[in-house]
Amino acid sequence: MSSSKKNLNNKIGRRLLLTILLSFILVVAIFIAMTLLRFNMTRKENLSEVGSYDKYYVMITDNYKSDFWQSVYKGALEEAKKNNTYIDLLGEKLSGNYSSEDLMKIAIASKVDGIVISSTESSHMAKLIDEASKNDIPVVTLYIDHADTSRISFAGVGSFNIGREYGRQVLNIIKEKRKEDFMEASKMKNRKTMQIAVLVNSDSKDTGQNLIISGLQETIMGDKTSDSEFSVSLVTVENTNAFSAEESIRDIFLKKEIPDILICLNELNTICAYQAVVDHNKVGEVNILGYHDSDMILKAIDRGVIYATISIDTRQLGEYCVTALSDYYEIGNTNQYYSADVTLINKDNVKNYMKKGEDNQND
Amino acid sequence: MTKFYNLPLQIKIISIYIFANLLILIVNIFLIMGINRMTLDMGMVYQDNRHLNELSNSLMDVQQCMTNYLNVKTSDSLEEYYKKAQKFEELYEDLNDEVTDISFHRMERNIKNMSRTYMDEVTQTIEAKRGRNVEKYRTHYENATQIYDYIFSYIRSLNIEQFASNSRHYNRLSKSFGVFETVSVSAMCLLMVINIFIITNFVRMIIKPLRMLADSANEVADGNFDVKLPEVVIHDDIGIVISAFDKMLFSIRQYIDKLKESMEKERYMQEKELMMETHLKDAQLKYLQAQINPHFLFNTLNAGAQLAMMEEADRTYEYVQTVADFFRYNVRKQESLVTLGEEIELVDNYIKILNVRFSGDIHYEKKVDDSLLQTQMPSMILQPIVENAVNHGIREMGDKGKITLFVYEDESDVCVSVKDNGKGMSPEDAEMILNGKWKCKENQYDNNGIGMDNVISRLQLFAEKKDVIDIISSKGNGCEIIVRLPFISQK
Repeated sequence: MSSSKKNLNNKIGRRLLLTILLSFILVVAIFIAMTLLRFNMTRKENLSEVGSYDKYYVMITDNYKSDFWQSVYKGALEEAKKNNTYIDLLGEKLSGNYSSEDLMKIAIASKVDGIVISSTESSHMAKLIDEASKNDIPVVTLYIDHADTSRISFAGVGSFNIGREYGRQVLNIIKEKRKEDFMEASKMKNRKTMQIAVLVNSDSKDTGQNLIISGLQETIMGDKTSDSEFSVSLVTVENTNAFSAEESIRDIFLKKEIPDILICLNELNTICAYQAVVDHNKVGEVNILGYHDSDMILKAIDRGVIYATISIDTRQLGEYCVTALSDYYEIGNTNQYYSADVTLINKDNVKNYMKKGEDNQND
Repeated sequence: MTKFYNLPLQIKIISIYIFANLLILIVNIFLIMGINRMTLDMGMVYQDNRHLNELSNSLMDVQQCMTNYLNVKTSDSLEEYYKKAQKFEELYEDLNDEVTDISFHRMERNIKNMSRTYMDEVTQTIEAKRGRNVEKYRTHYENATQIYDYIFSYIRSLNIEQFASNSRHYNRLSKSFGVFETVSVSAMCLLMVINIFIITNFVRMIIKPLRMLADSANEVADGNFDVKLPEVVIHDDIGIVISAFDKMLFSIRQYIDKLKESMEKERYMQEKELMMETHLKDAQLKYLQAQINPHFLFNTLNAGAQLAMMEEADRTYEYVQTVADFFRYNVRKQESLVTLGEEIELVDNYIKILNVRFSGDIHYEKKVDDSLLQTQMPSMILQPIVENAVNHGIREMGDKGKITLFVYEDESDVCVSVKDNGKGMSPEDAEMILNGKWKCKENQYDNNGIGMDNVISRLQLFAEKKDVIDIISSKGNGCEIIVRLPFISQK
């Protein structure tokens, strides 16, 4: 075979090979494209990250949407996952609006492995807690205790300490006022009594709330300042009906005598009070002592509308609930009482917390 | 691989066509399979919702049947209740009861457990009703109804959640479908391009040698037979055509060569014949110039011979008769070819005549191989040689002159030797005679006008070779002239 013939043969061979290769590549490419498409389609949710858990707890609160409870829940969930347990914020995914009692019943009927409940004290609820225990479901009360039931543990905050902290802040405010008064001699003469209003829930059975008030009163009384300089009053905020809290707080500002210091004992009240102060143009005149450290409250502190707020380590609170349940399952017993850390946030250290908040959000 | 290229053209074209179609078919099957699966997936999207609806319907049935039984307490309604309860149990037992990160699963688990609790309560209600324990069945009924509400609510919530999720899934599916559409169209386009590429390539490869062949044919038509044909690489029909064309071209070339050769030969032969004729005519013309009207002379001599016979002069008669024969030969033998015997007879007659003229001075001797007498040769060859031998060799020797004639076979030739014992000639003269450069003197008397150059030329033409005459001679030693004739018998 001559070399030219060989070349031609090679050329023909190459061409045929190229053709076959091209068609093969096409078929393979289509196959891959289709497989990818199909894979993309069947990936309904991110199933690869689905974990399975041994135990199932539920958390029941009266207001699962609030920042405070969401934060507690987060802490609880993180802790639960460490123990191969899942905890649900019950009612969150339900379409209807259910009371704590209803949710408690649902939890019992669903045969969950543990219940964390934060609800106002009532005989009905006490019964339900006992019923759960009867069905071998351990119950941990959260934030508000139901001491006379068969609950296994309580996770909350040192309410009395919170009260004392509020007291110290009230004294600080008074001292600042006095300094100002000294500067302006004219004001010295008609110095009036400081009106301190504590916004309490209409539900008088809330023992935590009562403890806070007593702590507050004790601190103020213990101070050497004369009795005539301030008066503490309780303003009842209706919390049994929806939206009633906001209305109650607005009512305060419509009265002739507007208190100088407003002490709010929950997140919702704090925000309502803050908004009311802004709306009624009383910034600087009315000092708010808030509760919890949501972004909005921190912002308000930064602007000087809210004087200070009590921050509860909500994550720790959530963790304690789960720890109590896990201990119960592992040891058969658990601490009766868990107390979460409390910190005060005012204008001086608010920046740190705002940063922290941002960091957490970024996480 | 070249095996494919060597297939017949028809099969090749069909194969390419089938290959292209097969490619389209495969791709289409893939695409159809994809569409099919996607359609199935789309159909399955709301499967979960359907299942949940079935569950809630079954739950409603159970509640209905229980209420009905509590109302009327008939065995029919009880039976109906059992049926519905069983169906409901089957349905909720299918639900997932694992606790996972997916909220659906946890909700399903709760629904399943609540359903169990519910069925416990319902069973107890029915039992109490049968036992007519009014207080108990009322409590259980209330509990059951409450849980029924919870389950319903749960199912509804789950349904809504799943619907939202499924809708997202559906949207994704729709998008995928769109992408798939684009992919399909691109795939088909790509396929088309590849098919065009393949077919173009093949067709070009098939057509190329044909085009080259056409070019070659055109060149041949223009008269160039030495054209280079495309090499046959692919042994298909076109390859066969090219080979056939090549063969045809080769045989045409051969035929043309043969034709040229034969024309050349014919031309040569014609030339030769023409020259022979020319020389003969030349000889005859010279002879006729010498013997004016030999017929008249010959007839006159014949009359003289008869007169001599009547007067009983025998020698005269014989002489005249010989002269007459001599001239008759010249008259008769005007054709080109004669036999050696006839030529020798002519020489005999010539010598006789001379001996009468010169009163028997010439001694003439011949040694002839009789078997060679029929050898063919041109006429008027030997007589001029003998005449030359007499005139230039032995004329002045009186009665001592002698001429010897030998005829013998030498190798394949017939040799005729004419030898005299005359004065001879120098080798230079002999050479000049052989080369035809000898000039004889004009108006030389007593010769019949045919020179040696004429004799040699005719012999050369006849024998088709140069070497026809040898002259062996030297001054004073006589001369021998040898004529070499090819052995061609008259027969």
